[in-house]
Amino acid sequence: MSTLTRTDGSAQHTVAQSLVLDRLHKTYTSRGKTSFEAVKGIELSIEPGEMVALLGPSGCGKTTTLRLVAGLETVTDGDIRIGATSVADLPPAKRNVGVGFESYALYPPLSVRQNLRYGLRARKVRDADQRVDTLAARLEMTELLDHRPADLSSGQKQRVALARALIRNPPVLLLDEPLSHLDAAQRQRVRRELKVLQREFGYTTIVVTHDQLEALSLADRIAVMDGGVIQQFGTPDEIFDDPANRFVADFVGEPNINLVDGVVQRSGGKTFVRVGDAGMLPVTATGVADGRAVTVGLRPQDCHTGVGAEQPALEGEVRVYENLLEFGQATVDVPGVDEPVVVQTPADERLAGGDVLRFAADAGQVYLFDDDSGERLR
Amino acid sequence: MATTLMPGQKRFTPSAILADLTLLAWFVFSLFPIVWLVLLALKTDAEQTTTYFSFSPTLDNFGTVLSDRGEELTSVDFPTALLTSVLNCAGAVLVSLVVGIPAAYAAGRWRFRGSNDLMFTILSFRFAPELMVIVPLFVIYNQIGLFDTTVGMIWVLQLVTMPLVVWILRSYFQDLPEDLEHAALLDGYTRRRAFVMVALPLVRPGIAAATLLAFIFAWNNYIFPLVLSESEASTVTVAITKFLGGGGQAYYNLTAAAAVIAALPPLVLALTIQRYLVRGLSFGAVKS
Ligand SMILES: Nc1ncnc2c1ncn2[C@@H]1O[C@H](COP(=O)(O)OP(=O)(O)OP(=O)(O)O)[C@@H](O)[C@H]1O
Ligand SMILES: [Mg+2]
Repeated sequence: MSTLTRTDGSAQHTVAQSLVLDRLHKTYTSRGKTSFEAVKGIELSIEPGEMVALLGPSGCGKTTTLRLVAGLETVTDGDIRIGATSVADLPPAKRNVGVGFESYALYPPLSVRQNLRYGLRARKVRDADQRVDTLAARLEMTELLDHRPADLSSGQKQRVALARALIRNPPVLLLDEPLSHLDAAQRQRVRRELKVLQREFGYTTIVVTHDQLEALSLADRIAVMDGGVIQQFGTPDEIFDDPANRFVADFVGEPNINLVDGVVQRSGGKTFVRVGDAGMLPVTATGVADGRAVTVGLRPQDCHTGVGAEQPALEGEVRVYENLLEFGQATVDVPGVDEPVVVQTPADERLAGGDVLRFAADAGQVYLFDDDSGERLR
Repeated sequence: MATTLMPGQKRFTPSAILADLTLLAWFVFSLFPIVWLVLLALKTDAEQTTTYFSFSPTLDNFGTVLSDRGEELTSVDFPTALLTSVLNCAGAVLVSLVVGIPAAYAAGRWRFRGSNDLMFTILSFRFAPELMVIVPLFVIYNQIGLFDTTVGMIWVLQLVTMPLVVWILRSYFQDLPEDLEHAALLDGYTRRRAFVMVALPLVRPGIAAATLLAFIFAWNNYIFPLVLSESEASTVTVAITKFLGGGGQAYYNLTAAAAVIAALPPLVLALTIQRYLVRGLSFGAVKS
């Protein structure tokens, strides 16, 4: 397989660069209306060649953050550094970042090939045609090169938009929902190829997504964002197994985490949390006062069944059982708990509605959150 | 062609026939003045006040209007007026485009202090009646020596053409996704080149529409050349009326012939520009 050459006419490609967002603020002000703070002091330190996923619900400021880094919005406060250089006051052209736009931003009168070349023309790259061909082959879009954007499906446009971002080999790559319109099979393939290209060329990358599977598969680290604030920044394992707060625990994980009321109870030097009328789960948190009311987070995947009667556990009647082939999923009514608790069960353990299920989780996987602030209690 | 029907559409339903007849009636009604004008232009002096449809048509009137004989009869140099009109209107539209396109772009892309007030001021040029401003303009033009000059006419026609250009093009620029220009900026193009190479070609249909409308409005303007020019910069709209003969004999047939000739330049412009107008509709490649 041929590779994309890194030597281009402008020769401005260097080794991978770090990207630092330093207490970044963005306030949108439109005259006559109240101003809106879309980004509230984001701190992110991204290693050279690292791929970070920005994961969060709609309207949390993901696109705004990308546009700040690209230079398409003015920074209200804070700094952005690529390598050792502060770029917060540089125009977009001088930042040398590649952006894959959510709206594709393809130029209608030009063919796909011309669109891709267009990005190279301003910088007078010499082997433009060869680069276009090579990249098109790797992104499975050679047959699209002679079409106009108007002739393409949204998934095809998205691949072209991705190619347009990659074609210049920018040291910093910003992708806004790059795969959202691809079908499932394409998405997996393009995702893999994107990952390979990113590794190969060492693009320092931020990819915006609200698909957590995409975040998990692509990213070295994930930044979970909500309300213009980074809620947690860490590896997928850290995000999943050690959530910083209730929002992160709730937002990440499929199926959703169970969040139920509980009361902390200490006995015999150990800490437990009482859930419902008679349920009891072990916890590792040591800094929580005896008798404090908390929110308990318990992932369906972390539950295990077959717990002895003498051990702390939850027990309840199965309301619904779903056989999902690789595993089962039981929805259990635990006495004294408002919401039914979802439990993932081993595939060979078939249940039916009305069965009584006793289940528990390891102490390290039972998370306690403050009732009001949602902060993790440890 | 005629056989392409919309799904579910029947060919000869009573309501379809009624609709067609109504359209036909409207067509005849709105076309009648033009037909009458052309007929009148083809009549001789003797027949010019008749209302017959059958007569022996002649092209003499066109010859008279365009030759010295017309000037002898009415002291109007119609060919020169025609040329003056073309110069005035082309000049006015050109100035409006050169100034108005960047203005429309700025107004469509950015909200700056006073941008709304500015846009409203430009629009207000259109709804202030010309008769209201003409007297002060006449005084000013006389004092600063712009009376009866081409520059003066082009300048005053900005009141007509500029609002059209700015307002039409502003909405075109607003409809263009900003990301297109942003992508160009990121590729290393300057703001100006992003404007020239990305935004401008995409609003070409808008420029065509604005050019055409502005030209027609400027062409049809009567009050400004009537009051602010005498002979040098006098236009067709004024010249046509002279054939009606202030005091002398009224030549209706010559007036009609002059009017028919005067209608040609906007028509030619419309036909030339037409393909740009239509092509704009087939882009639609930008997700909004
Ligand atoms: N130009 C603007 N003026 C005012 N408010 C804006 C502007 N652009 C974005 N916002 C607001 O800022 C917030 C964050 O917007 P942003 O586009 O960054 O969200 P997002 O996380 O990308 O959402 P999505 O997943 O839907 O794309 C939103 O509440 C939005 O309404
Ligand atoms: Mg977004």
